[in-house]
Amino acid sequence: MASNRRGVGLSAFSNAAISSDQYARHGQQLRTSHADALANQLSVFQAALHNFSLTHAKDIRSNPTFRAEFARMCNAIGVDPLAGSNVKGAAASGGKAGSVWAKMLGSSVNDFYFELAVRVVEVCRETRSENGGMIAISEVQKRITKGRAGLVGGGMEVTEDDIMRAIESLEPLGGMFKTQTLGGSRFIRSVPKELNPDQSTVLEVIQVLGYVTVSMMQANLAWERARAIAVIDDLVADSLVWVDSQGEETEFWSPASMHEGG
Amino acid sequence: MAATSPESSLSSFSTTAYTPSTTAYTPSTTTQAISSSGFNFPTYTSFPPFYTLQPNLTTRTHQLELWSTLISSYCAYYRIFRLSLSSLPTDLFSNANIHRSLKPGDVRTVLDHMSKPENGPRIDWIPSTTRNEQSSSCYVYWKTPGEWADALHGWVDETGQKGTVLTVYELREGDAVRSKEWRDMDEGMLRKVLNVLVKRGKAQIFGQEENAGVKFF
Repeated sequence: MASNRRGVGLSAFSNAAISSDQYARHGQQLRTSHADALANQLSVFQAALHNFSLTHAKDIRSNPTFRAEFARMCNAIGVDPLAGSNVKGAAASGGKAGSVWAKMLGSSVNDFYFELAVRVVEVCRETRSENGGMIAISEVQKRITKGRAGLVGGGMEVTEDDIMRAIESLEPLGGMFKTQTLGGSRFIRSVPKELNPDQSTVLEVIQVLGYVTVSMMQANLAWERARAIAVIDDLVADSLVWVDSQGEETEFWSPASMHEGG
Repeated sequence: MAATSPESSLSSFSTTAYTPSTTAYTPSTTTQAISSSGFNFPTYTSFPPFYTLQPNLTTRTHQLELWSTLISSYCAYYRIFRLSLSSLPTDLFSNANIHRSLKPGDVRTVLDHMSKPENGPRIDWIPSTTRNEQSSSCYVYWKTPGEWADALHGWVDETGQKGTVLTVYELREGDAVRSKEWRDMDEGMLRKVLNVLVKRGKAQIFGQEENAGVKFF
Protein backbone atom coordinates (compact mmCIF):
# COMPACT_ATOMS: atom_id res chain seq x y z
CA MET A 1 0.00 0.00 0.00
CA ALA A 2 1.42 3.26 -1.02
CA SER A 3 2.05 5.56 1.89
CA ASN A 4 -0.19 8.54 2.29
CA ARG A 5 2.79 10.75 2.52
CA ARG A 6 4.25 10.09 -0.81
CA GLY A 7 1.01 11.05 -2.46
CA VAL A 8 1.40 10.91 -6.24
CA GLY A 9 -0.42 13.06 -8.64
CA LEU A 10 -2.25 16.30 -7.94
CA SER A 11 -3.13 15.37 -4.39
CA ALA A 12 0.52 14.91 -3.66
CA PHE A 13 1.10 18.46 -4.81
CA SER A 14 -1.41 19.96 -2.43
CA ASN A 15 -0.24 17.65 0.40
CA ALA A 16 3.27 18.88 0.03
CA ALA A 17 2.11 22.47 -0.01
CA ILE A 18 0.03 21.93 3.13
CA SER A 19 2.97 20.19 4.83
CA SER A 20 5.52 22.82 4.02
CA ASP A 21 3.11 25.54 5.08
CA GLN A 22 2.49 23.69 8.33
CA TYR A 23 6.18 23.20 8.75
CA ALA A 24 6.81 26.83 8.06
CA ARG A 25 4.22 27.92 10.60
CA HIS A 26 5.45 25.41 13.12
CA GLY A 27 8.99 26.53 12.59
CA GLN A 28 7.95 30.15 13.07
CA GLN A 29 6.24 29.20 16.33
CA LEU A 30 9.31 27.40 17.50
CA ARG A 31 11.51 30.32 16.66
CA THR A 32 9.26 32.74 18.49
CA SER A 33 9.03 30.61 21.61
CA HIS A 34 12.76 29.95 21.46
CA ALA A 35 13.48 33.63 21.08
CA ASP A 36 11.20 34.44 24.01
CA ALA A 37 12.84 31.80 26.16
CA LEU A 38 16.23 33.06 25.16
CA ALA A 39 15.37 36.68 25.86
CA ASN A 40 14.07 35.64 29.23
CA GLN A 41 17.17 33.64 30.02
CA LEU A 42 19.30 36.53 28.84
CA SER A 43 17.66 39.08 31.08
CA VAL A 44 18.00 36.74 34.04
CA PHE A 45 21.63 36.27 33.12
CA GLN A 46 22.20 40.00 32.69
CA ALA A 47 20.82 40.70 36.14
CA ALA A 48 22.92 37.94 37.66
CA LEU A 49 26.06 39.17 35.95
CA HIS A 50 25.42 42.72 37.06
CA ASN A 51 24.93 41.66 40.66
CA PHE A 52 27.95 39.43 40.43
CA SER A 53 30.24 42.22 39.32
CA LEU A 54 28.91 44.52 42.02
CA THR A 55 29.39 42.07 44.85
CA HIS A 56 32.77 41.00 43.55
CA ALA A 57 34.12 44.44 42.66
CA LYS A 58 36.50 44.11 45.58
CA ASP A 59 37.75 40.77 44.32
CA ILE A 60 38.19 42.08 40.82
CA ARG A 61 40.48 44.76 42.20
CA SER A 62 42.52 42.68 44.58
CA ASN A 63 42.70 39.17 43.15
CA PRO A 64 44.63 38.53 39.94
CA THR A 65 43.51 34.89 39.65
CA PHE A 66 39.90 36.00 39.90
CA ARG A 67 40.49 38.58 37.21
CA ALA A 68 42.02 36.00 34.91
CA GLU A 69 39.03 33.70 35.37
CA PHE A 70 36.61 36.57 34.90
CA ALA A 71 38.33 37.61 31.69
CA ARG A 72 38.30 34.01 30.45
CA MET A 73 34.58 33.74 31.11
CA CYS A 74 33.89 36.99 29.34
CA ASN A 75 35.88 35.90 26.31
CA ALA A 76 34.10 32.55 26.27
CA ILE A 77 30.70 34.20 26.02
CA GLY A 78 32.00 36.69 23.50
CA VAL A 79 32.11 39.71 25.74
CA ASP A 80 34.98 42.15 26.03
CA PRO A 81 35.30 42.92 29.75
CA LEU A 82 36.66 46.33 28.81
CA ALA A 83 33.91 47.00 26.26
CA GLY A 84 33.07 50.33 27.88
CA SER A 85 36.59 51.74 27.57
CA ASN A 86 37.50 50.30 24.20
CA VAL A 87 35.48 51.83 21.37
CA LYS A 88 36.73 49.21 18.88
CA GLY A 89 35.68 46.40 21.20
CA ALA A 90 32.22 47.87 21.66
CA ALA A 91 31.77 48.15 17.93
CA ALA A 92 32.95 44.59 17.40
CA SER A 93 30.52 43.14 19.91
CA GLY A 94 27.67 45.04 18.33
CA GLY A 95 27.80 48.64 19.35
CA LYS A 96 24.84 49.02 21.66
CA ALA A 97 25.23 45.47 22.90
CA GLY A 98 28.82 46.21 23.85
CA SER A 99 27.93 49.12 26.06
CA VAL A 100 25.04 47.19 27.60
CA TRP A 101 27.54 44.59 28.71
CA ALA A 102 29.82 47.29 30.06
CA LYS A 103 26.94 48.72 32.06
CA MET A 104 26.16 45.30 33.49
CA LEU A 105 29.75 44.53 34.40
CA GLY A 106 29.87 47.77 36.24
CA SER A 107 32.61 50.32 36.40
CA SER A 108 34.87 48.25 38.67
CA VAL A 109 36.48 46.27 35.87
CA ASN A 110 36.99 49.29 33.65
CA ASP A 111 38.30 51.40 36.53
CA PHE A 112 40.80 48.77 37.50
CA TYR A 113 42.30 48.46 34.04
CA PHE A 114 42.23 52.21 33.53
CA GLU A 115 44.17 52.76 36.74
CA LEU A 116 46.59 50.03 35.74
CA ALA A 117 47.08 51.63 32.33
CA VAL A 118 47.94 54.91 34.06
CA ARG A 119 50.53 53.12 36.19
CA VAL A 120 52.03 51.45 33.13
CA VAL A 121 52.37 54.82 31.40
CA GLU A 122 54.02 56.25 34.53
CA VAL A 123 56.53 53.42 34.82
CA CYS A 124 57.45 53.70 31.14
CA ARG A 125 57.97 57.44 31.43
CA GLU A 126 60.05 57.17 34.61
CA THR A 127 62.35 54.52 33.18
CA ARG A 128 62.76 55.96 29.70
CA SER A 129 66.15 57.54 30.43
CA GLU A 130 67.38 54.16 31.65
CA ASN A 131 66.07 51.91 28.89
CA GLY A 132 65.33 54.14 25.90
CA GLY A 133 61.64 53.22 25.96
CA MET A 134 61.95 49.42 25.84
CA ILE A 135 61.03 47.79 29.12
CA ALA A 136 60.40 44.15 29.94
CA ILE A 137 56.83 43.44 31.01
CA SER A 138 58.22 41.52 33.97
CA GLU A 139 59.98 44.66 35.16
CA VAL A 140 56.81 46.74 34.73
CA GLN A 141 54.94 44.15 36.75
CA LYS A 142 57.53 44.24 39.51
CA ARG A 143 57.55 48.02 39.74
CA ILE A 144 53.77 48.33 39.77
CA THR A 145 53.45 45.65 42.44
CA LYS A 146 56.00 47.49 44.53
CA GLY A 147 54.03 50.72 44.25
CA ARG A 148 54.98 54.34 43.82
CA ALA A 149 58.02 55.48 45.77
CA GLY A 150 57.12 57.13 49.06
CA LEU A 151 53.47 56.05 49.05
CA VAL A 152 52.42 53.41 51.53
CA GLY A 153 50.21 50.64 50.23
CA GLY A 154 50.23 52.07 46.74
CA GLY A 155 51.17 48.86 44.98
CA MET A 156 48.71 47.04 42.74
CA GLU A 157 48.84 43.27 42.65
CA VAL A 158 48.82 42.61 38.93
CA THR A 159 49.90 39.91 36.51
CA GLU A 160 51.63 40.30 33.17
CA ASP A 161 48.33 39.40 31.48
CA ASP A 162 46.61 42.21 33.36
CA ILE A 163 49.25 44.57 32.01
CA MET A 164 48.72 43.28 28.46
CA ARG A 165 44.96 43.90 28.80
CA ALA A 166 45.56 47.37 30.16
CA ILE A 167 47.86 48.21 27.24
CA GLU A 168 45.28 46.96 24.78
CA SER A 169 42.79 49.35 26.30
CA LEU A 170 45.18 52.18 25.40
CA GLU A 171 44.80 51.38 21.69
CA PRO A 172 42.27 54.16 21.00
CA LEU A 173 44.83 56.71 22.25
CA GLY A 174 46.85 56.26 19.10
CA GLY A 175 48.95 53.18 19.66
CA MET A 176 51.72 54.82 21.61
CA PHE A 177 52.38 51.57 23.40
CA LYS A 178 53.33 48.46 21.48
CA THR A 179 54.58 45.11 22.65
CA GLN A 180 57.47 43.18 21.18
CA THR A 181 58.97 39.82 22.05
CA LEU A 182 62.74 39.64 22.26
CA GLY A 183 64.49 36.38 23.09
CA GLY A 184 61.36 34.94 24.65
CA SER A 185 60.61 37.92 26.89
CA ARG A 186 57.82 40.37 26.24
CA PHE A 187 58.72 44.06 26.08
CA ILE A 188 56.67 47.23 26.01
CA ARG A 189 57.84 49.92 23.60
CA SER A 190 56.75 53.40 24.64
CA VAL A 191 58.67 55.44 22.08
CA PRO A 192 57.40 55.93 18.54
CA LYS A 193 60.59 54.84 16.81
CA GLU A 194 60.32 51.24 15.70
CA LEU A 195 63.28 48.88 15.75
CA ASN A 196 64.52 47.83 12.33
CA PRO A 197 65.24 44.10 11.83
CA ASP A 198 68.98 44.43 12.52
CA GLN A 199 68.33 46.32 15.76
CA SER A 200 65.74 43.76 16.85
CA THR A 201 68.18 40.96 16.13
CA VAL A 202 70.91 42.52 18.24
CA LEU A 203 68.53 43.24 21.12
CA GLU A 204 67.35 39.64 20.99
CA VAL A 205 70.92 38.40 21.14
CA ILE A 206 71.61 40.64 24.12
CA GLN A 207 68.43 39.41 25.80
CA VAL A 208 69.61 35.82 25.42
CA LEU A 209 73.32 36.28 26.18
CA GLY A 210 73.28 39.31 28.45
CA TYR A 211 75.60 41.36 26.27
CA VAL A 212 77.16 41.50 22.84
CA THR A 213 80.40 42.75 21.28
CA VAL A 214 81.11 43.76 17.68
CA SER A 215 83.22 40.62 17.21
CA MET A 216 80.38 38.44 18.46
CA MET A 217 78.03 40.03 15.96
CA GLN A 218 80.54 39.53 13.16
CA ALA A 219 81.28 35.94 14.05
CA ASN A 220 77.76 34.73 14.76
CA LEU A 221 75.52 36.87 12.59
CA ALA A 222 78.00 36.92 9.70
CA TRP A 223 77.76 40.70 9.58
CA GLU A 224 80.46 42.95 8.27
CA ARG A 225 82.14 45.01 10.92
CA ALA A 226 80.71 48.26 9.54
CA ARG A 227 77.19 46.89 9.69
CA ALA A 228 77.61 45.69 13.27
CA ILE A 229 79.07 49.02 14.35
CA ALA A 230 76.30 50.97 12.61
CA VAL A 231 73.59 48.97 14.36
CA ILE A 232 75.18 49.19 17.78
CA ASP A 233 75.78 52.93 17.34
CA ASP A 234 72.06 53.32 16.64
CA LEU A 235 71.15 51.38 19.75
CA VAL A 236 73.49 53.47 21.91
CA ALA A 237 72.14 56.69 20.39
CA ASP A 238 68.59 55.57 21.25
CA SER A 239 69.60 54.78 24.87
CA LEU A 240 68.58 51.17 24.30
CA VAL A 241 71.88 49.66 25.44
CA TRP A 242 74.55 50.49 28.00
CA VAL A 243 78.27 50.46 27.22
CA ASP A 244 80.90 48.57 29.21
CA SER A 245 84.43 49.56 28.21
CA GLN A 246 86.33 47.62 30.85
CA GLY A 247 86.34 44.26 29.11
CA GLU A 248 88.86 43.18 26.50
CA GLU A 249 86.43 44.41 23.87
CA THR A 250 83.67 46.94 24.36
CA GLU A 251 80.53 45.18 25.54
CA PHE A 252 76.96 46.33 24.99
CA TRP A 253 74.40 45.38 27.62
CA SER A 254 70.64 45.60 27.87
CA PRO A 255 69.37 47.61 30.84
CA ALA A 256 66.75 44.89 31.30
CA SER A 257 69.15 42.97 33.54
CA MET A 258 70.04 46.01 35.62
CA HIS A 259 67.49 45.52 38.38
CA GLU A 260 66.97 41.79 38.05
CA GLY A 261 67.00 39.92 41.31
CA GLY A 262 66.35 43.09 43.21
CA MET B 1 79.56 34.66 3.10
CA ALA B 2 75.83 35.26 2.64
CA ALA B 3 74.10 36.66 5.64
CA THR B 4 71.92 34.09 7.33
CA SER B 5 68.36 35.00 8.32
CA PRO B 6 68.01 36.23 11.89
CA GLU B 7 65.93 33.24 13.01
CA SER B 8 68.31 30.55 11.86
CA SER B 9 71.40 32.40 13.00
CA LEU B 10 69.92 32.85 16.46
CA SER B 11 69.25 29.16 16.87
CA SER B 12 72.76 28.26 15.78
CA PHE B 13 74.25 31.01 17.90
CA SER B 14 77.45 30.03 19.57
CA THR B 15 79.86 31.97 21.68
CA THR B 16 82.73 29.64 20.89
CA ALA B 17 83.47 31.65 17.76
CA TYR B 18 84.53 34.42 20.11
CA THR B 19 85.09 33.87 23.77
CA PRO B 20 84.76 36.99 25.85
CA SER B 21 87.39 37.56 28.47
CA THR B 22 84.92 37.99 31.29
CA THR B 23 82.60 35.27 32.48
CA ALA B 24 79.08 35.33 31.11
CA TYR B 25 76.79 37.56 33.08
CA THR B 26 74.29 35.77 35.26
CA PRO B 27 71.90 38.07 37.09
CA SER B 28 72.24 37.51 40.79
CA THR B 29 69.15 36.35 42.58
CA THR B 30 70.14 38.11 45.75
CA THR B 31 71.49 41.59 46.08
CA GLN B 32 75.24 41.64 46.29
CA ALA B 33 76.71 42.20 49.72
CA ILE B 34 80.40 42.44 50.40
CA SER B 35 80.05 41.52 54.07
CA SER B 36 77.45 39.27 55.63
CA SER B 37 75.92 42.10 57.56
CA GLY B 38 76.49 45.43 55.95
CA PHE B 39 75.29 47.80 53.32
CA ASN B 40 72.72 46.29 51.01
CA PHE B 41 74.11 47.05 47.55
CA PRO B 42 71.39 47.59 44.93
CA THR B 43 71.33 45.10 42.07
CA TYR B 44 72.61 47.63 39.58
CA THR B 45 76.01 47.60 41.29
CA SER B 46 76.49 44.18 39.69
CA PHE B 47 75.73 45.59 36.26
CA PRO B 48 79.10 45.98 34.52
CA PRO B 49 78.25 49.09 32.43
CA PHE B 50 77.43 50.92 35.67
CA TYR B 51 81.18 51.48 36.05
CA THR B 52 81.65 53.02 32.59
CA LEU B 53 80.64 56.62 32.09
CA GLN B 54 77.91 56.29 29.47
CA PRO B 55 78.45 58.03 26.12
CA ASN B 56 74.74 58.66 25.58
CA LEU B 57 73.93 61.81 27.56
CA THR B 58 70.38 60.79 28.49
CA THR B 59 71.65 57.49 29.79
CA ARG B 60 74.55 59.23 31.51
CA THR B 61 72.29 61.62 33.39
CA HIS B 62 70.33 58.68 34.72
CA GLN B 63 73.55 56.86 35.57
CA LEU B 64 74.84 59.86 37.52
CA GLU B 65 71.59 59.89 39.46
CA LEU B 66 72.00 56.22 40.35
CA TRP B 67 75.57 56.86 41.51
CA SER B 68 74.44 59.85 43.58
CA THR B 69 71.79 57.80 45.32
CA LEU B 70 74.22 54.95 45.91
CA ILE B 71 76.92 57.21 47.38
CA SER B 72 74.45 59.04 49.61
CA SER B 73 72.91 55.80 50.92
CA TYR B 74 76.30 54.16 51.45
CA CYS B 75 77.68 57.15 53.35
CA ALA B 76 74.50 57.39 55.42
CA TYR B 77 74.73 53.69 56.30
CA TYR B 78 78.37 53.87 57.36
CA ARG B 79 78.06 57.42 58.68
CA ILE B 80 80.75 58.74 56.38
CA PHE B 81 80.86 62.52 56.47
CA ARG B 82 83.87 63.05 54.26
CA LEU B 83 85.27 61.39 51.15
CA SER B 84 88.86 61.68 50.10
CA LEU B 85 89.77 60.86 46.51
CA SER B 86 93.07 59.34 47.59
CA SER B 87 91.40 56.81 49.88
CA LEU B 88 87.93 56.05 48.62
CA PRO B 89 85.99 53.06 50.01
CA THR B 90 86.75 50.34 47.45
CA ASP B 91 83.49 48.46 47.74
CA LEU B 92 81.57 51.62 46.93
CA PHE B 93 83.28 52.42 43.65
CA SER B 94 84.18 48.93 42.47
CA ASN B 95 82.79 45.45 42.37
CA ALA B 96 85.44 42.76 42.70
CA ASN B 97 83.03 40.00 41.63
CA ILE B 98 82.67 41.44 38.15
CA HIS B 99 86.12 43.06 37.96
CA ARG B 100 84.79 46.53 37.38
CA SER B 101 85.52 49.85 39.01
CA LEU B 102 84.71 53.48 38.39
CA LYS B 103 87.78 55.29 37.06
CA PRO B 104 89.12 58.09 39.29
CA GLY B 105 88.31 60.72 36.67
CA ASP B 106 84.75 59.42 36.50
CA VAL B 107 84.47 59.44 40.29
CA ARG B 108 85.22 63.14 40.11
CA THR B 109 82.55 63.56 37.42
CA VAL B 110 80.00 61.89 39.67
CA LEU B 111 80.97 64.03 42.65
CA ASP B 112 80.86 67.16 40.49
CA HIS B 113 77.32 66.20 39.54
CA MET B 114 76.44 65.81 43.21
CA SER B 115 78.03 69.15 44.11
CA LYS B 116 75.65 71.13 41.88
CA PRO B 117 73.01 73.07 43.83
CA GLU B 118 70.27 71.80 41.51
CA ASN B 119 71.25 68.26 42.50
CA GLY B 120 71.20 68.94 46.23
CA PRO B 121 73.96 69.69 46.62
CA ARG B 122 74.65 66.25 48.05
CA ILE B 123 78.38 66.81 48.38
CA ASP B 124 80.47 69.91 48.95
CA TRP B 125 84.06 70.10 47.65
CA ILE B 126 86.57 71.09 50.30
CA PRO B 127 88.96 73.65 48.80
CA SER B 128 92.50 72.38 48.51
CA THR B 129 95.08 73.91 50.83
CA THR B 130 97.52 74.07 47.94
CA ARG B 131 96.93 77.00 45.63
CA ASN B 132 95.62 76.25 42.15
CA GLU B 133 95.17 72.62 43.01
CA GLN B 134 91.91 70.85 42.42
CA SER B 135 89.98 69.80 45.46
CA SER B 136 90.55 66.19 46.40
CA SER B 137 88.06 65.72 49.21
CA CYS B 138 84.48 66.60 49.94
CA TYR B 139 81.83 66.56 52.64
CA VAL B 140 78.95 64.21 52.01
CA TYR B 141 75.52 65.60 52.78
CA TRP B 142 73.39 62.51 53.30
CA LYS B 143 71.62 65.04 55.47
CA THR B 144 71.90 68.68 54.43
CA PRO B 145 73.60 71.18 56.77
CA GLY B 146 70.13 72.64 57.34
CA GLU B 147 68.77 69.23 58.41
CA TRP B 148 71.74 68.69 60.72
CA ALA B 149 71.16 72.15 62.18
CA ASP B 150 67.55 71.20 62.96
CA ALA B 151 68.63 67.93 64.55
CA LEU B 152 71.35 69.55 66.64
CA HIS B 153 69.19 72.38 67.82
CA GLY B 154 66.32 70.03 68.53
CA TRP B 155 68.51 67.93 70.79
CA VAL B 156 69.84 70.98 72.62
CA ASP B 157 66.26 72.13 73.17
CA GLU B 158 64.93 68.74 74.34
CA THR B 159 67.77 68.27 76.79
CA GLY B 160 67.23 71.72 78.27
CA GLN B 161 70.69 72.91 77.29
CA LYS B 162 69.66 76.18 75.70
CA GLY B 163 71.68 78.94 77.27
CA THR B 164 74.54 76.69 78.39
CA VAL B 165 77.85 76.73 76.56
CA LEU B 166 78.87 73.46 74.96
CA THR B 167 82.27 72.77 73.47
CA VAL B 168 82.73 71.56 69.92
CA TYR B 169 84.34 68.46 71.42
CA GLU B 170 81.24 67.74 73.51
CA LEU B 171 78.99 68.20 70.52
CA ARG B 172 81.08 65.80 68.46
CA GLU B 173 82.32 63.19 70.92
CA GLY B 174 80.67 63.75 74.27
CA ASP B 175 78.93 60.91 76.14
CA ALA B 176 75.65 62.70 75.75
CA VAL B 177 75.75 62.47 71.97
CA ARG B 178 76.87 58.84 71.76
CA SER B 179 73.56 57.74 70.32
CA LYS B 180 73.18 60.73 68.05
CA GLU B 181 73.59 60.53 64.29
CA TRP B 182 76.02 63.43 64.16
CA ARG B 183 78.50 61.94 66.61
CA ASP B 184 82.06 61.96 65.25
CA MET B 185 81.00 64.30 62.47
CA ASP B 186 83.99 65.75 60.66
CA GLU B 187 84.84 68.94 62.51
CA GLY B 188 84.87 71.11 59.43
CA MET B 189 81.38 69.94 58.61
CA LEU B 190 80.13 70.52 62.13
CA ARG B 191 81.31 74.11 61.86
CA LYS B 192 79.30 74.52 58.69
CA VAL B 193 76.26 73.22 60.54
CA LEU B 194 76.89 75.56 63.46
CA ASN B 195 77.24 78.46 61.05
CA VAL B 196 73.78 77.69 59.72
CA LEU B 197 72.46 78.02 63.27
CA VAL B 198 74.43 81.22 63.77
CA LYS B 199 72.86 82.67 60.62
CA ARG B 200 69.45 81.69 61.91
CA GLY B 201 70.24 83.47 65.15
CA LYS B 202 69.98 80.19 67.04
CA ALA B 203 73.58 79.91 68.17
CA GLN B 204 76.72 81.85 68.95
CA ILE B 205 80.32 80.62 68.76
CA PHE B 206 83.04 81.73 71.18
CA GLY B 207 86.75 81.07 70.86
CA GLN B 208 88.71 79.11 68.34
CA GLU B 209 89.61 75.56 67.32
CA GLU B 210 88.62 72.62 69.50
CA ASN B 211 88.19 74.76 72.56
CA ALA B 212 85.50 76.78 70.88
CA GLY B 213 82.28 76.98 72.79
CA VAL B 214 78.79 77.19 71.39
CA LYS B 215 75.79 78.74 73.05
CA PHE B 216 72.37 77.85 71.70
CA PHE B 217 69.30 80.04 71.87
